[in-house]
Amino acid sequence: MARRSTMLSRRGLLTGAAAIGGTAALSGGLSACGAASATDPDQIQFWTLLSGGDGGTMADMIAKATGSGAAYDVKTTTLVWGEPYYTKLAMAATGGRPPELAIMHASRVPGYVPGGLLDSWDVSRLEELGVSQDDFPEDVWRKGMVGENVYAVALDAHPTVMMFNPEICDKAGVLDSDGKLRATESPEEFVDLVSQVGGVTKGSPPLSYGYLGDGSQMFRLFYTFYTQHGAAMTFPQGGRAEIDDDIAVASLQLMQRLLDGKLALQRNDYAAALAEFATGRSGMLFTGVWELRSVKEAGVPFDMTTIPTLFGTPATYADSHAFVLPHQSEVDEHRRDLTYQFVADLLKGSYDWATAGHIPAYLPVTESPDYAKLMPQSNYAQAVQQVNYDPAAWFTGSGSNFHAGFGNAVQPALMTGKDAAGAVDAFRTRINGLLKTQNPVDPDGTWTS
Amino acid sequence: MTAATETRVARVATRPSSATATRAGRERLVSWAFLAPFLVAFALFLVWPLVHGLYLSFTNQSLTGAGGSWVGLENYREALTDATMWRALRTTVWFTVVSTIPLVLIALVMALLVHRGLPGQWLWRLSFFMPFLLASTVISQIWVWIFNPDIGAANSVIGAFGIEPIAWLQDPDTNLYAIVIATVWWTVGFNFLLYLAALQNIPDQLYEAAALDGAGPWRRLTSITLPQLWPATILIVMLQILASLKLFDQAYQMLIGVSTDTTRPIVQYIYEAGFVGYRFGYSSAISYVFFALIIIVGVFQMTAMNRRRSLS
Repeated sequence: MARRSTMLSRRGLLTGAAAIGGTAALSGGLSACGAASATDPDQIQFWTLLSGGDGGTMADMIAKATGSGAAYDVKTTTLVWGEPYYTKLAMAATGGRPPELAIMHASRVPGYVPGGLLDSWDVSRLEELGVSQDDFPEDVWRKGMVGENVYAVALDAHPTVMMFNPEICDKAGVLDSDGKLRATESPEEFVDLVSQVGGVTKGSPPLSYGYLGDGSQMFRLFYTFYTQHGAAMTFPQGGRAEIDDDIAVASLQLMQRLLDGKLALQRNDYAAALAEFATGRSGMLFTGVWELRSVKEAGVPFDMTTIPTLFGTPATYADSHAFVLPHQSEVDEHRRDLTYQFVADLLKGSYDWATAGHIPAYLPVTESPDYAKLMPQSNYAQAVQQVNYDPAAWFTGSGSNFHAGFGNAVQPALMTGKDAAGAVDAFRTRINGLLKTQNPVDPDGTWTS
Repeated sequence: MTAATETRVARVATRPSSATATRAGRERLVSWAFLAPFLVAFALFLVWPLVHGLYLSFTNQSLTGAGGSWVGLENYREALTDATMWRALRTTVWFTVVSTIPLVLIALVMALLVHRGLPGQWLWRLSFFMPFLLASTVISQIWVWIFNPDIGAANSVIGAFGIEPIAWLQDPDTNLYAIVIATVWWTVGFNFLLYLAALQNIPDQLYEAAALDGAGPWRRLTSITLPQLWPATILIVMLQILASLKLFDQAYQMLIGVSTDTTRPIVQYIYEAGFVGYRFGYSSAISYVFFALIIIVGVFQMTAMNRRRSLS
């Protein structure tokens, strides 16, 4: 009896062991299979921050690039844009095993490079693939450079623009014979034009501009007006912010003047302003090119143009989506070759990217006859020649605290229409505080370009 | 040689009681083995981060692995002169004040109503407590919709009373109070439950005796119920202050992208300094400044409680 039970248990044990062994073998086989695809020598890991419509457009472009017998395969990882994306990318680069390729905002690049987080692009290798400096607007190309090296190759520029409703504007008599908005060259002329449109949109203000709680939105318009004065803003590390007070105050005052409750609502947020325009309640909207698709889908008649030059110098606030090579401790040269090829293919196919509203940075695309026919995109294509990015500093750029900080300093002045000078002072104090702090990716200040 | 001999002698000498000694030893071993899983987790996830965080606060460590050099008290000097830090601290303290009061009072009123025997008591109990079970992400989503300036329920409700619509979360003058309202709705159920339990512990004879002596309902409430609830109130206020000081997730989620100086709680500033600004050293220093505040609050509470205990 006792013997039997021992036998049984031993047999049970053996069966169990076999089963476990089998499972292990099976899962071993499966995981080996997974590992094989992860180490596919032709696969490029690509991180993007493009979601929604942009993400879909990018997926189509990648499918097109990889579809036609390309030498590479691309595995895309999309992460939520903003802080989470940039933190993850920084940490991946710190770990030494980041993706082969990533998209960053060009304005974030100067803050990243000193930490050794990015590898520089080999310009001659790009040239061999038909991508050279001459193929980009000068300012856009230069924004990708830190010191003598190129760290970011721009895919696009996405400037702040003005949308207008041609039906409403036509009724107001502010369109010229070919349907373009009448040119305005000073704040007075522009204010007159907006009030004229207001005669048609009776009851609701003619201009939509949402900014509440949205520092980026405030900085975009402010910096457009500021740079239209031909002025620059520089933030020297360890020094003091160089901001032209008079010009900054004049720019803010124009914003206050527009936000008088009659031309534009004094207190409005981004989504509500967009909705006003998209439902045909207002005739004009300050926004970014990226809203092209959502306004189009709303079905309201619309056209787009650059923000008129009101202070003499054509200038527009913009940022760029740019390709970067996150720093890898061990570079696989074969994969890196494929990465160069992939980027060249995407740039050459960036006509599709224009459908999302962004202006492709690769000039052969925007100078093509096809692009000239693309409406309303070609109406604001000249913006790419007059772009102004965030002033370079470690703390600036899309998704950084800089925009929020600007908003905190300036929002009270916009909400009340008072004390523009005080707002500029508050902004300067903030920046001076940040300039005293070392770039946190290089806290000992050891990096040299 | 001599040492070895002595040991052997000692062993021989203790032999008679060695059985008990072994058992005691084994018991001690077993008890440590039972404690080990907790102790390992405690040391790894609480003690070590505390010590390491304190060390980091004296360095310029960056999230990206760069830095790490000793900077002495520099981070603390910066923190104590950082206007944003003080503002964030004020926001957290103000939130604690304006949220603790309704969270205690409303919970008390709800518990009294339910305890007095509203019909369908279980339903009230359930619906008051239910929101507490939701994740902060869920309540943030719900309240972002309620507070939507155009289509939100909050503006419809106040609109019915003829009040102009409010940009609850967008307007820096109102958004902290919007967070308070959402937080009260979310967590009041926990305090309610504590109060309800305390109410059920008040002996019935007290009420019976009072009724015989001719005490009316109001008199019974003020002379029996509230004094009897006093220990529970102290506990609830204490727990609530600590919970409110931790304000972060709902504020961060509801005000995403609306980060204004008036509504940034200190915990969010710690997060921003570390994970957005990559400054681990500085963010650790602010954590310890906040830690000091919590200790001060804790000491106050302990003294208040001890004084009360010695009085009674």
